[in-house]
Amino acid sequence: MAELTWGRRFLMCPPVHFGVLYEINSWMSTSVAVDPERAARQWETLRATLIEAGATVELQEPVEGLPDLVFTANAGIVNGNQFIPSRFRHAERQGEMPHDIEWFRSRGHDVDELPADVSHEGAGDALPFGGVLVSGYNQRSDVSAHAQLSKLTGVPVRSVELADPRLYHLDLTFCPLDDRRVMIAPAGWDAYGRRLIEALVPEPLVLDDDDTFAFTANSVVVGRTIVMPACSPAVGRQLEAWGFDVVVVDISEFQKAGGACRCLTLALDVTLT
Amino acid sequence: MSAREVVDLEGHIIDSLLLAKVLDVILASGAEYELLDVEIGRTNTDTSRARLEITAKDEATLATLLVGLQVHGANARSSTDADLEPADRDGVLPTGFYSTTNLPTQVRVDGHWIDVVNPEMDCGLVVADGVARTVPMHRVRAGNGVVVGREGVRVTAPARPRGASVFEFMNSEVSSEKPKALLVARVADRIRQARESGSKVLAVCGPAVVHTGSSPPLARLVRAGWINVLFAGNGFATHDIESNVMGTSLGVSVLEGVSSEGGHANHLRVINEVRRFGSIAAAVDAGYIEGGVMFECVRRKVPYVLAGSLRDDGPLPDVFPNVIEAADAMRDLVPGVAVALMLATTLHAIATGNILPSGVETFCVDINQAVVTKLADRGSSQALGIVTDVGLFVSDLADALGA
Repeated sequence: MAELTWGRRFLMCPPVHFGVLYEINSWMSTSVAVDPERAARQWETLRATLIEAGATVELQEPVEGLPDLVFTANAGIVNGNQFIPSRFRHAERQGEMPHDIEWFRSRGHDVDELPADVSHEGAGDALPFGGVLVSGYNQRSDVSAHAQLSKLTGVPVRSVELADPRLYHLDLTFCPLDDRRVMIAPAGWDAYGRRLIEALVPEPLVLDDDDTFAFTANSVVVGRTIVMPACSPAVGRQLEAWGFDVVVVDISEFQKAGGACRCLTLALDVTLT
Repeated sequence: MSAREVVDLEGHIIDSLLLAKVLDVILASGAEYELLDVEIGRTNTDTSRARLEITAKDEATLATLLVGLQVHGANARSSTDADLEPADRDGVLPTGFYSTTNLPTQVRVDGHWIDVVNPEMDCGLVVADGVARTVPMHRVRAGNGVVVGREGVRVTAPARPRGASVFEFMNSEVSSEKPKALLVARVADRIRQARESGSKVLAVCGPAVVHTGSSPPLARLVRAGWINVLFAGNGFATHDIESNVMGTSLGVSVLEGVSSEGGHANHLRVINEVRRFGSIAAAVDAGYIEGGVMFECVRRKVPYVLAGSLRDDGPLPDVFPNVIEAADAMRDLVPGVAVALMLATTLHAIATGNILPSGVETFCVDINQAVVTKLADRGSSQALGIVTDVGLFVSDLADALGA
């Protein structure tokens, strides 16, 4: 069993300007207040946990008026030195793109942009596994972006239709653990997507609805450590039986915006092959 | 009317099951598909490509389906506007002009599909002020914006509504072995429907209509208002008038079937006298013509076009000696025609077929099966053939319509 080849270096953005200022997914409610101090503490705990697990964390400058910039997973797709910035579906988040491009460009990355008429929300909707890039579509990303991604990266893309608006990004339903195992939330996919993943993943850990909607799949894997927003006893037993160390962190302030651990991180050490 | 669209799908569509999904979605909507082209990537990194044609039962179903398919990456192929090029001189279309069919046609202009107002085969397409029209070559004027190439043009295949077609039970095959009485009754039904819906019925007549003695029943149909437009040539009009003025058709007594002395010149004498009056209408007004199809047309103010030909005697003063002008005059009378009866004429039937939109129900009545076949071969695939003696047919039709 080989560990993931990526997940040792992450990009995060401090939640200085984080809040639920608009509603672009079914979890967001502007009537629910975010506790900024609590959010800051939770974010700091996540960062410390990742570092303790052996990862390094780089930081992106927060920008006022862009509350969701904290969800760095949606900045784009990293492929070695290549960075493909996201094309956000909603106008509320489109202002993030120049900041994301600037961060990567200033660090020497080659920036390849998707055509302006397609949407794709980065690593939130695209995770590598089994030699392909599994990418979601229909909620935030367009399937027509998938062919473009494949052209830009040279990697085959497997398109999975996200059928449940509550599970609007692939990373709420799909979490690669190592080279054979993936936590999956089939509730988020249509029948074709389920068939596709079934054929792709040798050893899936299937999440039930309770685990799924607790955002269990939105976890960050650092080697043999899994940093999770929630972990039911059944999931924990299976992960431990597979030899993983489970660390659960409270990320509840960010769940008000429909995001959890994975959403708050972008792996910088991904090389698609 | 069914609606079609060609869509393209590209990417890892086989491994991602996208092609399978798209095909399933099409079938689930009640539409059908035909895979026109599939190019499967040779390695796992190669993308694949599929082009399929979708046929839905109507435009609305197709539009809904296309929106649904777009989600899965299947995009309508014609996503570009039609290319327009100005004609550089009168009567000449730009090289590479789109050559029309008689089928319902749409042109994409400024991102919208607009219907071609007057489908006609073998024309150019001129777009001006958001209106698309077919224009025959000789009518194009310098500066007209003419569609070139095939991009941004789509044609709807003829689809006979199930259960509504006259000849649903016989698949529109031409055959002399059909129950004629039944056919006559059905044609009569169609003519009644046309009249009820305010549409026009066109009769295209050859001289055999007169020779076979069916001029009187046809005249009754005109008098009773069942025929609203008439196309013919010099021969038909001449013999119709001859038979009424002199009782002969080409010199042969219509009633007794025997040749009359000096009868071979009868039609010439009739033409000569009508020319003296200046027009058929003037001859009717003067009382020279007292019956027949042309007489009833004048009396009922049924517009007619008599198109000339190289071998015409005379001709009658109403005949267009210039065939281009004749065809234009015919075009002017086509709008509103829903039913066309081609009665024992080859050349006029084909000429008329050329200018009729495919939606006009066309019944081609001829004793010679080849005429019907020829009409269909010239592009008027909507023509339904009735192989029978035109005299019997017209007489039965007049009776069926109570004319």
